[in-house]
Amino acid sequence: MRWLLKKAAVLLSTYHAYMLEYRGEILFWLLSGITPFFFMAVWMEAAGQGYTEISTDQYARYFFFVFLTRQLSLVWVSWNLSESIRTGTLSFRLLQPLDPLWHHLADHVAERGVRVPLMVPIFIVFTLLYPGTLTWPGWERALLGLVAVALAFLTNFFASYILGLLALWFEDAVELSEVWNVLITFFSGMLAPLSLYPETVQKVLAWTPFPYLVYLPSALWSGMPVAAGWPLVILLGWTLLFYLVSRGLWRLGLKHYSAMGA
Amino acid sequence: MEAISAKWLGKTYLVAVKDPGLAGTLRHFFRRRYKRIEAVKNVSFDIGEGEVVGFLGPNGAGKTTTLKMLTGLIYPSAGQVKVLGHVPFERRPEFLKKITLVMGNKQQLIWDLPVLDSLKINAAVYEIPDAEARRRIGAFAEMLDLEEVLKQPVRKLSLGQRMKAELMAALLHHPKLLFLDEPTLGLDVNAQVSVRAFLKAYRSQHRATILLTSHYMADIAALAERVLVIHHGELIFDGPLRLLVARFAPYREVSLEFDAQISRDALAAYGEVEALEGQKARLLVRREKLTETVRNLLAEFPVRDLTVSEPPVEDVIAKVFTAGRVA
Repeated sequence: MRWLLKKAAVLLSTYHAYMLEYRGEILFWLLSGITPFFFMAVWMEAAGQGYTEISTDQYARYFFFVFLTRQLSLVWVSWNLSESIRTGTLSFRLLQPLDPLWHHLADHVAERGVRVPLMVPIFIVFTLLYPGTLTWPGWERALLGLVAVALAFLTNFFASYILGLLALWFEDAVELSEVWNVLITFFSGMLAPLSLYPETVQKVLAWTPFPYLVYLPSALWSGMPVAAGWPLVILLGWTLLFYLVSRGLWRLGLKHYSAMGA
Repeated sequence: MEAISAKWLGKTYLVAVKDPGLAGTLRHFFRRRYKRIEAVKNVSFDIGEGEVVGFLGPNGAGKTTTLKMLTGLIYPSAGQVKVLGHVPFERRPEFLKKITLVMGNKQQLIWDLPVLDSLKINAAVYEIPDAEARRRIGAFAEMLDLEEVLKQPVRKLSLGQRMKAELMAALLHHPKLLFLDEPTLGLDVNAQVSVRAFLKAYRSQHRATILLTSHYMADIAALAERVLVIHHGELIFDGPLRLLVARFAPYREVSLEFDAQISRDALAAYGEVEALEGQKARLLVRREKLTETVRNLLAEFPVRDLTVSEPPVEDVIAKVFTAGRVA
């Protein structure tokens, strides 16, 4: 246990230092993720003209938390993993008595330590532009939202890990990540709160992981009517499923690893 | 106990074959064709604990593929292999803690961070207590003359410093078995000498076993007592380096300096004229005729100076590779 904590602490502190070297790049990536605010403007206009039952303040709050959820659950592991498989740099990690997954996970978690402080100016600008919009959702919703966003991050992470592992069989499968991102854009609540989608679509989406990746934490934090218990269990189920699939593919795929270039 | 035992080891790769152009791409998409490439064929050898073995072969001969199988990075297509009593591909932690792989053309250090950060990660991964890690880093840094650069980002180091830092990272856990794949690739002569000296010292301090590939024969000659030669995936020689040289280069090089100009034709009767420039010449003479030839040369020509030497090992190995066999 002592060594487990020591390894976690060293990996997190080292990758945090590494990510600090890329703070400029992270800032630009952060700014490229402000699209929820454009959808916010559109829906606030619609609400102002009385087209929807949701108020302008609720839209502002909801899309702010959509932005926050996306920033906290972003992943890029498929690119790193696929690259390390194709170039053979995975070899060094394979020769160490620590699964490479922990390096990737630490790298992502440590990056949040750089990204979150960079989000503070956006928070300040938002509260100045929309004073009084961001209200405290209460401890229960705040904590449930945190659990939901952590699970959403892990689900994204393992899904991305699976896509990266496909490089063990195919020349390059990382572009499939774009398909995953498109599905998230349309079906996770990034374009509009899912409660506005037709009921049939909502029922179908409930069987997929997408509504739980953005809509669930954003709705919890923004105070929109949403049940937390059962959706969180489903999200946990998706997290475990993607985790198990990624572990299975890892074991199967290593027999295909050719350590090219190494 | 054997450190490495390989029996009938083989590795076959399936490589997709694609014709150039659009037609080739379409054919490749609908009906993919593969070619079987036997990178390693029926390779068997044993390496005892504490041995230092040079692994020689031209590019594409199967050296690196064999190293990858021995370290457990890739799965053999045929044969059996045991390394320190373990099946490498199972990659058990107790096995991984006893081996290391250094690749001259690849790096494990984190490019944008100081060397110490990568060493810190390795110390934690291999569960080396802080005080012991500091002691080992200090000792290695002193041996490799790296004390001044440990806090500099890896990207700011020279190639020689980087390679030495790679060695530090690879050996921090004091492995018993070292796989070194071109560890001095691209280094200048001073850095090569320093890396060799370090490896020698490490080996004697830790009684480590080393399997080393290098295109620099000086590495092999300085470190290895025994060589394995692989060609087209097959092991064609296993024995002491001097035996390989004796078998494949039954010549001595005779360097001569004369008091007068000598013609090539006149010298050709005594051996193969390698070079003739002004009053200096180099002849290759068969070993069994060396004494007689030297006596005749001294008697027939106005010789000012004469030296006899072994031909460079590089030349011998080049001949082995060209012939593809050791007769």
